[in-house]
Amino acid sequence: MSRQANRGTESKKMSSELFTLTYGALVTQLCKDYENDEDVNKQLDKMGYNIGVRLIEDFLARSNVGRCHDFRETADVIAKVAFKMYLGITPSITNWSPAGDEFSLILENNPLVDFVELPDNHSSLIYSNLLCGVLRGALEMVQMAVEAKFVQDTLKGDSVTEIRMRFIRRIEDNLPAGEE
Amino acid sequence: MAVCVAVIAKENYPLYIRSTPMENELKFHYMVHTSLDVVDEKISAMGKALVDQRELYLGLLYPTEDYKVYGYVTNSKVKFVMVVDSSNTALRDNEIRSMFRKLHNSYTDVMCNPFYNPGDRIQSRAFDNMVTSMMIQVC
Repeated sequence: MSRQANRGTESKKMSSELFTLTYGALVTQLCKDYENDEDVNKQLDKMGYNIGVRLIEDFLARSNVGRCHDFRETADVIAKVAFKMYLGITPSITNWSPAGDEFSLILENNPLVDFVELPDNHSSLIYSNLLCGVLRGALEMVQMAVEAKFVQDTLKGDSVTEIRMRFIRRIEDNLPAGEE
Repeated sequence: MAVCVAVIAKENYPLYIRSTPMENELKFHYMVHTSLDVVDEKISAMGKALVDQRELYLGLLYPTEDYKVYGYVTNSKVKFVMVVDSSNTALRDNEIRSMFRKLHNSYTDVMCNPFYNPGDRIQSRAFDNMVTSMMIQVC
C-alpha cells in the first residue's frame, strides 16, 4: 500500500530540462543506432506503444475518470486530463471529421522539443513520434484501436504541432466477460 | 552594432565566427586570434578573483584605431569575443555586458540541442539569427 500512498492525483515536480534532455539523448542515440529515419520513427512508435500500455493503468488509477461513451469524450480526457497530467500542457482539439471519428490535437508548445533543431540530414525524422505510440498503446488497452500521426511539427517549420487521431474500431474480443 | 562575433572553444579553436563586412573577414579573424592572448592573460591575472565573484565579463580587451574588442569567458572556459566599431560611443559597458549575456544564453540553448555534438562548429539557425540581430541593431 505504500505504493499507493505516494501516487496522489497531484503531479510531482520535475525539471523540464532533465526531461527534455533525456528524451533528446534517447532520440539521438536511436539515430546513431539505425541507418535511416524511418527505422527510428518506427522504433520510437514501438517504445511509445510499450509505454502507453503500461501508462494507461497508472492514468486510470490516478485520474478516476470513468468510461467514455463516445470518441469525443475520449478526446477531451486525452487533452485535458492525460496531457495535463504527464506533460503539463493542454492541447486543443479541432478539425473533427464529419463522421466524428477523426480529430486533431494541437500542441502550442511541445515540451519534448524545447532546445531541438533538426539537422538537415534528418529531415524525415519524426522527433516526437513516441507520443503517437503512447496514445495508440494506451487506447488499445481500453478497447480502442486508433491511428495517431503527426501532420504538423514546429520542428519542420510549422507554427504548431498537430497530432491527427483516427478511430479505427472497437476491440470487442478483449472485453472482459460479463461486461456489455 | 557588433561587427564581428566569435565563440572560441576551451582549447582555443573557433566554434563560430562571423563578421559583417565580408571583404574584411580575414582582418577580423586575425583580430579575434590576437585577442585570445589577452583573454588568457586576463584569466590568469585575475583568475582567483574571477572564480570567486563568478564574473564572466572580461571587459575591454584592447582598442584599435577603428574597433574595440571585448571578451567574455564562461565557467567552462568557452570564450566569446566581440568586435565593436569604436565610432559607436553610445555603446556602454552595460550594453556590451547584456549582449554577452544574450550570447551566452543562446550558446546554452545550442549546447542543449541533442543533435549538437559539443566541440563541433555551431551551425544552429537560431544562434545565427541571434547574432545577426546583434549585428544589425542600430543605436
